[in-house]
Amino acid sequence: MVEVGVEYTRVSEIRGPLLIVEGVSRASFDELVEVETTDGIKRLGKVLEVGQGKAVIQVFEGTTGLSVKGTRARFLGKTMEVPVSQELLGRVFDGLGRPIDGLPEPIAEEFRDVNGAPINPERREYPRDFIQTGVSVIDGMLTLVRGQKLPIFSGSGMPHNVLAAQIARQATVVGSGEEFAVVFAAIGVQYSEAQYFKRSLEESGALRRSTLFLNLADDPAIERIITPRVALTVAEYLAFDLNMHVLVILTDMTNYAEALREISAAREEVPGRKGYPGYLYTDLATIYERAGRIKSVKGSITQMPILSMPADDITHPIPDLTGYITEGQIVLSRDLFRRDIYPPVGVLMSLSRLMKDGVGEGKTRADHMEVSNQLYDAYARAQEVRALSEIVGKAGLTGVDLKYLDFGDAFEQQFLKQAVDENRTLEETLRRAWDVLSTLPEGELTKIKEVHIKKHYRAKAG
Amino acid sequence: MAHSHAHDHDKVLESIVGKVVSQVESDLIAQIESSYIQSLERLRASKAGLVAEYNKIVENASKQAENLKRQMVESSRLAVRNRQLLLIEDAVSSAFSNAIAMLDSIRSDERYEAMMRRLIESTLDAIGMDAVLECSEKDRDMVDRIVLELQHKYNFSVEVGDSIPCLGGIKARSRDGSIILDNTLDSRIERLRPILKKDIARLLMVEVGR
Amino acid sequence: MVARGRIVWISGPAVKADGMSEAKMYETVYVGESRLIGEVIRLTGDTAFIQVYESTSGLKPGEPVMGTGNPLSVLLGPGMIGRIYDGIQRPLDDIAKQSGAFISRGIAVDPVDKRRRYRFVPTVKVGDDIEPGSKLGEVNETQLIKHHIMLPPDSPGGRVIAVEKEGEYDLEHPIATLEKNGKRYEAKMYHYWPVRRPRPLKEKLDPEIPLITGQRVIDTLFPVAKGGTAAIPGGFGTGKTVTMHQIAKWADAQVVIYIGCGERGNEMTEVLVEFPHLTDPRSGRPLMERTVLVANTSNMPVAAREASIYTGVTMGEYYRDMGYDVVLVADSTSRWAEALREMSGRLEEMPAEEGYPSYLASRLAEFYERAGRGIALGTPERIGSVTLIGAVSPSGADFTEPVTTHTIRFIKTFWGLDTRLAYSRHYPAINWMISYSGYVNSIAKWWMKNVSEEWFRLREEGYYILQREDTLKEIVRLLGPEALPDEEKLVLEVARMIKIGILQQAAFDKIDTYCSPMKQLKLLRLMVGFYREAQKALKAGISLADIRSMQIITRMLKAKFEISEEEISRIDALYNEMVEEFKALTAKEVKQVVG
Repeated sequence: MVEVGVEYTRVSEIRGPLLIVEGVSRASFDELVEVETTDGIKRLGKVLEVGQGKAVIQVFEGTTGLSVKGTRARFLGKTMEVPVSQELLGRVFDGLGRPIDGLPEPIAEEFRDVNGAPINPERREYPRDFIQTGVSVIDGMLTLVRGQKLPIFSGSGMPHNVLAAQIARQATVVGSGEEFAVVFAAIGVQYSEAQYFKRSLEESGALRRSTLFLNLADDPAIERIITPRVALTVAEYLAFDLNMHVLVILTDMTNYAEALREISAAREEVPGRKGYPGYLYTDLATIYERAGRIKSVKGSITQMPILSMPADDITHPIPDLTGYITEGQIVLSRDLFRRDIYPPVGVLMSLSRLMKDGVGEGKTRADHMEVSNQLYDAYARAQEVRALSEIVGKAGLTGVDLKYLDFGDAFEQQFLKQAVDENRTLEETLRRAWDVLSTLPEGELTKIKEVHIKKHYRAKAG
Repeated sequence: MAHSHAHDHDKVLESIVGKVVSQVESDLIAQIESSYIQSLERLRASKAGLVAEYNKIVENASKQAENLKRQMVESSRLAVRNRQLLLIEDAVSSAFSNAIAMLDSIRSDERYEAMMRRLIESTLDAIGMDAVLECSEKDRDMVDRIVLELQHKYNFSVEVGDSIPCLGGIKARSRDGSIILDNTLDSRIERLRPILKKDIARLLMVEVGR
Repeated sequence: MVARGRIVWISGPAVKADGMSEAKMYETVYVGESRLIGEVIRLTGDTAFIQVYESTSGLKPGEPVMGTGNPLSVLLGPGMIGRIYDGIQRPLDDIAKQSGAFISRGIAVDPVDKRRRYRFVPTVKVGDDIEPGSKLGEVNETQLIKHHIMLPPDSPGGRVIAVEKEGEYDLEHPIATLEKNGKRYEAKMYHYWPVRRPRPLKEKLDPEIPLITGQRVIDTLFPVAKGGTAAIPGGFGTGKTVTMHQIAKWADAQVVIYIGCGERGNEMTEVLVEFPHLTDPRSGRPLMERTVLVANTSNMPVAAREASIYTGVTMGEYYRDMGYDVVLVADSTSRWAEALREMSGRLEEMPAEEGYPSYLASRLAEFYERAGRGIALGTPERIGSVTLIGAVSPSGADFTEPVTTHTIRFIKTFWGLDTRLAYSRHYPAINWMISYSGYVNSIAKWWMKNVSEEWFRLREEGYYILQREDTLKEIVRLLGPEALPDEEKLVLEVARMIKIGILQQAAFDKIDTYCSPMKQLKLLRLMVGFYREAQKALKAGISLADIRSMQIITRMLKAKFEISEEEISRIDALYNEMVEEFKALTAKEVKQVVG
């Protein structure tokens, strides 16, 4: 029997995104609530706290226009669910999963709780399949593997969406020929940004295997709490029920965290750093940990959350806590962006934790890991020398130091920089890597074994 | 002698000049030859370059064509699928309204009254205070009767209010208006809709399949 | 009489229940119709505050709460090694058998298979009068672990009335009967112990044996002793988890307890996938045969995260009581502290710094106090240790935040991870200028006796070079390297060699991942020896440029991963070659001067 839900009308308080209802005798924690205004408009919400006749409800679509008198809250006897089915591919929905593409409500194969359930670590399959993105700096130094969660830390105005879209278009697992399904969740972003992404998928013919959830900048802020969860619930169905390889892009998680802060402030909770709630880490984890692989299931969820660092500050709680949960981070650099280098990936601050398991003999190439380590080491040194040369001038540098200056330029121009539609093979990426490493004297390559140096190193004359 | 000397001198000069000339000549020829070879090589190289360039253009064009083709195929596939979704939705809606129209006959089912009784009981349990019940004009007598029978179980008053337009079932509220429970068939069906939709669609698809 | 109450209020993992006057503090309770596991954390009148170890989604006021009469406890007995548990000791593989790939709620499973039979060999005989905590016999838990069956420390002890002869018994089979003060009781192969109560020792001993981890920067520069405490704070990406994994893999302990506390799911999977295939360098057996995992990942219920630390340390103490050296790594204690903060916030307690409860420091102190080396209760004499190593995840990599600052008060070895080192891929990114070890003097004797008399002096010299480099770097930053005299440039050069050739260690390189104490010493001698020779050469008038361009340097720097443990003598050969090359340089110089 379907639960019809009791409606309660004694609203005692409306505070920020919260609605407090009294006289409630039948409500459960986390229950879905339908809030109806005097003029019959329905909004969704959920129970944050319940007991002693009182229920605190978080209204997803905001409380604007709600009044203490005449507002009704109907408790629906279940947590929030989304319909899932293969037909969700090729569709566009709003931030709560309602269609906005002029097509009907999808016919559900099943309804799933948007909160999901934690994957049992014992049943996880360790991710180790190399994904070729065609972007040298990622394939060569920040390798993405199937089932990884690798965020892009960006700043306002930088081309994170361009990079994410390029990855979504080009990503393949070499040799498998399998294409990724893309689940895209826009969380409080501009219409134009969402549109860019949609067009990019359209132009590459990938829209048919994509699902878009759009909460745009002028959509209700609290809805953003739900958008990534709806998107991931659908992704889980595609990956673990339909065996698809799914790439999930969540942009911008900073807007998500701000919505969370708004609720926390309204609840008058003791804040942690910068006013964000103390449970921000745990809350973000319930999103990011919904990536991965499961034993004896073919599909996978690879997550690429995008977040803009307020004031480009990587120690801000949002990037900071994200970095503690995700398996690395791709950090965009304002400096490289200003110097017109695309993709402006600040490699030294970037990292892919799962790279070690996705590369090497039998997966990519035997020298891959060591080449990557050497590039990092040399570029770090090049940056140091650059800084030093600004103070003491080139005259104060040793001969080896000068070589590092050359290396730095070659690295940025020949390896890092590439075109938005340039899809490089791994061979080409590694060839370019050895090319730039060959600007250094052989003795400087302390991270690479002799056998690889013999095979690939070609000293530059002079 | 002087003449011969001069003659000799001329001869020497001549031979020197001749040598120089032939030297220059051979140098020139060598230069011409080498530049000829060079230009030939250049030509060959540029031809190769041209071919490469040409191939590149062709490759790019075919890549673009491939992309375009892909884009068109995929988007038309998508368009077809979307048409299908709309058709299914239409079919589901009409099936739904047909089903609802047929619900009117539900009252002739002997189980209807038992269902109403259960519905009223659970509704009153949920409200737990002075309550007002509303129902369809057609059910009014039945509801009056059930309430009369049940009243003794509750320590609060139950009143049957105005009739409302609905297919069946009841709507209830506490007298103070703080609790409302909409248990009409209309609202129940509306809530069942997404769940029923799948079954109807499946039935329809089977029909189409035949 | 156990408490039977009703839920009156729910907010996330915090639940209030009325009618709980029978409940005791820290008692385990079942919450709601689906019997979620919870623990009483505050009592006010007949209202109990309960932290629930599973998701409370869908729970309603009015649902029942049932007491169990027992504090939160773990089962201690054979069958724990090689398993992966959640924060309250439920085996995750058994949970998966019931709920599939995703964890659902209200699942009741035994921590070990009680029906499994083990071959029990008694070590006491009828008539023996034994103390509490004494060993009764043993079973083979894995090829590596001989599991001692012991009387619980809180049992009365007494005279052995009956004991089973050698044979196969399951865990529920009573293997001995004892009598004390006229009362008889039976002992089984397992017992329960409350997680929040430390298991007692007869006597604590000084930590004077180093825990060898095979990691050069740790063992050589900042060692931890068996039974000691260490903390490893670092921002994200600085390699905390990799270092923790390295310690869990290579530490010379017999039992490793790995607690993944509020961290990534894949990291636990990595251990599960990798450890069965890695072999212990000492025993040659798979590492999984000495490892217990406790996994409460970041997306699992937050209250169980708080419990996971205690679950782990109690299991560690149990193996310590058998006379084993146990290493417990907790990754990360910050997430545990955050769980405390979250519960404290829900209970509306007065917060101290950054919202953490005022009892944060005392909880940390209690935890690290459970480390130690000592003599177990009862007979025969068993000396074991628990070494506690806690990762700390300071927000914004800021070491002045409360969890880091309080932790520092209670630990003796500090491995400070440095974001800048990590950015340049200097791994492990342990900053040698801020890290320290309080055990160097007490364990020096061990090194000098077992590895080399030279150890202490070489370490001092090597460390000194690094410290001098740090001060010189300031000058370089302002004036450039050419402003320094050659002698000081040499310090920079050798410091670079020590950093690359010794401190940097590739965890994922087959050879470099583990470095034996002897190899560590030989590498150290190689670099320090180079410094001595180079100083002499400079004095003899050889130019620094000539020294810098010596062919042997690159080979010295690669010795760590080009020379395996089996061919360790090649490092000595390299040393001799190095000395020869200096001799040749000097000879050439002399010839030129004379010529």
